[in-house]
Amino acid sequence: MAALSEEVLLVVKRVRQRKQDGTLYLMTERIAWGPEGKDRFTVSHLYADIRCQKISPDGKSKIQLQLVLHTGESTTFHFANESTALKDRDAAKDLLQQLLPKFKKKANKQLEEKNKMLQEDPVLFQLYKDLVVSQVISAEEFWASRLKLSSVEHSLSNNSKQEVGISAAFLADIRPQTDGCNGLKYNLTSDIIESIFKTYPAVKQKYAENVPHNLTEKEFWTRFFQSHYFHRDRINTGQQDIFSECAKQDEKGLKSMVVQGVKNPMVDLLSLEDKTLDEGYGSLTVGPNSSKTVKENSNSAIIKRFNHHSAMVLAAGLRKVDAPSDQASETSSTDGNSRDSDFFQPPIKKVKLQEAIEYEDLQNGSGPKTIALNLKKSDRYSHGPVPLQSHHYSTSQDIINSVNCIQEEISCYKPCLTRVMPSSAASSAITALSPGGLLMQAGTQQAVSQLVPTDVQSELKHLYTAAGELLRHFWSCFPVNTPFLEEKVVKMRSNLERFQSTKLRPFQEKIQREYLSTNVRLLLLVNL
Amino acid sequence: MLELKRTLDAKGHGVLEMPSGTGKTISLLSLIVAYQKAYPLEVTKLIYCSRTVPEIEKVVEELRKLMEFYTKETGEKNNFLALALSSRKNLCIHPEVSSLRFGKEVDGKCHSLTASYIRAQHHSNPSQPVCRFYEEFDAVGRQVPIPSGIYNLDDLKDFGRKKGWCPYYLARYSILHANIVVYSYHYLLDPKIADLVSKELAKKSVVVFDEAHNIDNVCIDSMSVNITRRTLDRCQTNVDTLQNTIQRIKETDAAKLREEYRRLVEGLKEANVARETDIYLSNPVLPDEVLQEAIPGSIRTAEHFVGFLKRFLEYLKARLRIHHVVQESSPQFLKDIYEKVCIDRKPLRFCAERLRSLLRTLEIADIADFSPITLISHFATLVSTYSKGFTIIIEPFEDKTPTIANPVLHFSCMDPSIAIKPVFERFQSVVITSGTLSPLDIYPRILDFRPVTMASFTMTLARTCLCPLIVGRGNDQVAMSSKFETREDFAVIRNYGNLLLEMSAIVPDGIVAFFTSYVYMENIVASWYEQGILENIQRNKLIFIETPDAAETSMALEKYQEACENGRGAILLSVARGKVSEGIDFVHHFGRAVIMFGVPYVYTQSRILKARLEYLRDQFQIRENDFLTFDAMRHAAQCVGRAIRGKTDYGLMIFADKRYARADKRGKLPRWIQEHISDGSLNLTIDETVQLSKHFLRQMAQPFRRVRPAPFFTRFS
Repeated sequence: MAALSEEVLLVVKRVRQRKQDGTLYLMTERIAWGPEGKDRFTVSHLYADIRCQKISPDGKSKIQLQLVLHTGESTTFHFANESTALKDRDAAKDLLQQLLPKFKKKANKQLEEKNKMLQEDPVLFQLYKDLVVSQVISAEEFWASRLKLSSVEHSLSNNSKQEVGISAAFLADIRPQTDGCNGLKYNLTSDIIESIFKTYPAVKQKYAENVPHNLTEKEFWTRFFQSHYFHRDRINTGQQDIFSECAKQDEKGLKSMVVQGVKNPMVDLLSLEDKTLDEGYGSLTVGPNSSKTVKENSNSAIIKRFNHHSAMVLAAGLRKVDAPSDQASETSSTDGNSRDSDFFQPPIKKVKLQEAIEYEDLQNGSGPKTIALNLKKSDRYSHGPVPLQSHHYSTSQDIINSVNCIQEEISCYKPCLTRVMPSSAASSAITALSPGGLLMQAGTQQAVSQLVPTDVQSELKHLYTAAGELLRHFWSCFPVNTPFLEEKVVKMRSNLERFQSTKLRPFQEKIQREYLSTNVRLLLLVNL
Repeated sequence: MLELKRTLDAKGHGVLEMPSGTGKTISLLSLIVAYQKAYPLEVTKLIYCSRTVPEIEKVVEELRKLMEFYTKETGEKNNFLALALSSRKNLCIHPEVSSLRFGKEVDGKCHSLTASYIRAQHHSNPSQPVCRFYEEFDAVGRQVPIPSGIYNLDDLKDFGRKKGWCPYYLARYSILHANIVVYSYHYLLDPKIADLVSKELAKKSVVVFDEAHNIDNVCIDSMSVNITRRTLDRCQTNVDTLQNTIQRIKETDAAKLREEYRRLVEGLKEANVARETDIYLSNPVLPDEVLQEAIPGSIRTAEHFVGFLKRFLEYLKARLRIHHVVQESSPQFLKDIYEKVCIDRKPLRFCAERLRSLLRTLEIADIADFSPITLISHFATLVSTYSKGFTIIIEPFEDKTPTIANPVLHFSCMDPSIAIKPVFERFQSVVITSGTLSPLDIYPRILDFRPVTMASFTMTLARTCLCPLIVGRGNDQVAMSSKFETREDFAVIRNYGNLLLEMSAIVPDGIVAFFTSYVYMENIVASWYEQGILENIQRNKLIFIETPDAAETSMALEKYQEACENGRGAILLSVARGKVSEGIDFVHHFGRAVIMFGVPYVYTQSRILKARLEYLRDQFQIRENDFLTFDAMRHAAQCVGRAIRGKTDYGLMIFADKRYARADKRGKLPRWIQEHISDGSLNLTIDETVQLSKHFLRQMAQPFRRVRPAPFFTRFS
């Protein structure tokens, strides 16, 4: 069996699929089903391929689990073990619920990307419909060249797009509801959970440590909400609380942030004061405030928590953006933190100072910014392109001579009126040549666009782009220097032929039936 | 400019209120520099005092621009020397010393490397570490003056590094011949520092105090002393150390002590001569009379003096062992000390000077260790010198915690004019300026000087870029006020919360909210949290809150700016009179709206304040309420004024207290804010405020076009 090395997470016996009894296996990477008595799987789906799972409603007699794949196919499992069917199904469902999200991201990413591309680009979408849906070429082939092509521009557009930050109030969004019997119900969505993880890495770590082994997910979150950690006015967290460590870690983080100090000297309150009064001088003494009441303590704890929370939310939002430029910022931040930062600090300070004393509106020349024209050869700009073949340079004498020559010719020019065409003939020739005239009747664009209804036109356009796409595929194989390419050429050729037969022929015939005059162009195009 | 020129011409003092962001600094600089150029003999030096280090650096950068402009326009290089001076912490380039984090540590370490006797020891024993930068500077730095130019703190450091000279001492030396000096208030107002640094500055100088709305407090702070039990305990160890050192020196080097004795007999004549010939800025801690006499015999020898200190210390300890609050004047205190331990007034007055001499003689390495005893000696001198303007309050415990004994002796200055008097007397023109000095007439009164000009300027605006609104009630018509009786009222707190919530939904980027005090903010935040208001606000913006810890607040501030910067928007909850309200500007998107919750009255129950109010009433005929309102309003104006910095900037200023509508409060706001308060916006509900704000913000968000020329000052009244 191929799956020997895989770890089997769950085995459910007596599961029917297509009216056949069998066993359902949930492995680390895929779900599989094999009919009874045989040791191979007839159904096997990677988790990454599964879009979602559906279950039959509770009341129904058949207890089923349906897996919908990204391709749109679905597989239904019927849990047939009378006594434990429901339990079996739920076990499978729960496990899948945990497993699917992990794989989802991986699979979805590409899919989403493709989806987005299609949505953003209607032409591409049409192309996709023409080529893939009508099965001229396979989806993979279609994307193979597309994705590569678009990855460059895509990454560009990706960068400019912003990460969605975290709502500062995400904890407030979890409205506790009373469930009627002296308890509270919290509704958690995966978004909120992600926000919590992003903002509080310490909780995430705890989650990773505890969840599959020590606690179930539900228990974990129950404890989370019970813990003082969640309640910001916590003062004394119990030792048995798994989140007390988080609280400590947070405190440490806050402290380290404080110790790190600020990089912008304009807001550093510590160095604001030039000369602080010596101890004992001054009219107000801020003595060691040991005598704070518990309430005051908890109040200041709230304030601290808010500062920390906001800072974390902010940091979580920025983390992603920073990632690519981490290298640079890391080095600079370490520089900034060390105290012998004299070589690093001044630039920031200078910049900030300049910012502080400069007023944009007082600067000269604050008119609308224009882009300077960058000319490599200004003479070419002013003279326009000159055909290169006129390379024999004429001396000034030549020019003068020729000018004289022309002048002489002009001076002795006499219109020979007798030999001119009669005006009626001339005008008829002109009408014949202008659009709609005798000579131009056959193939002017205008005429076509007027003659052909728009739906045919758009169809023609689609066909044209589709043909262009196919030809692009085709020509991209040249020069044929590998067997792979050779194979592809052959395939593309057959694709082209298929395209011709499935799409163009019907269209051609249709057109021929209706408009005889346009077929010349089309045939031209088709037989290209 | 006109007023300033008048002031300079008359060689008198002036008080000028100019709106923030209208080019106050550059106007002052350009006129005074031009004056200096035109009359080099009349005005030899400009001393520009600002409050914070970034502020100082900004001034120097502006000056640099001005000088560049001069060079560009006139085509000749001018030979001005301008420099910034700051504490060692900001100027030190010694690799070890500059890595220390706190100013005091840097000072101490520096002293231990550069004190004269350390250097003397270094001669005989090269292993004794000294600061090579100082040595280098001392050897050659004084011979050639620093080349003319503009030196900011970093430029000084660079210059110091290049030459291998200590930038701090270089700057301190160079301010004597510099044309323009930019430094912090303390170098002029704090007698302890002024004596060291600014003593020899030329008389024909123009002194500018920028951001001077708080100058009286700076003066008072520099002259007030607090003594706790802990201070006294540490003094005790100091005295013991002194005694031991004296003992040791007596055995090894008795000549040194004899030398000191001889010097003391000769007295402080030297200093006296210097002051009479007008070289020195007088030091209020070192009163004139002291200089004319020799140190009294009773404390002339080292042992006697230490014994004297011991007695004084014991007396103070006894005074702190009380169970009820005592308030007395200096003469009462002196009488008491004479009766109890037979300490006369005269030796007390010499205490500071005598201790300094002793510490020098004994070659104490770490001066910082001896700060408690220095403090006590200053106290002794001050208490015996000034019979007026000071009060002594001994509190056995804090008001909030009557059970925990924590006795404190407050020796507090109530008259800011004492500290600033030498400055007014010595320098020919002193200009006091700030964005918020209203009402103007109170400053000359509390600082006790006679200005030749007093003016409040408003600004001409290209568009009405500020929108002051007074919100008096909530949507439920409950009056909003931070009045003591109603401040804990549930409805008021909720209305405040709703106001912030509504504003957070409509104002883009940053909102700064100020509370009247830290405790009040804590309470409100807590109850907002319980009511779920904060959570709702969080849906709109991130929340950052000032804490008493400066480092934490700095971090919060930076994150706040970051959040404004990246478009998330944030709210900063802060405290009037706090560090943020005093030193940080919220330009452009960092502060699109400022909300002032309540009127920031000072805590009126403190005995020190009560004493001060009493003094003001008796001496300057300023009524308590007037002063309190004045003080509250200047802080409120200071807070809201942080948002507007420049013509293109715009901001809402929301005063959330019904009391602001009253004429006595409103009238004390600076003119430039006052004239934009329309009668219609005096008692708004939250809904109305939101409507007005929306309208304002929509208008302001249109792109700013240059329609009119840049604003300039116009005389208001």
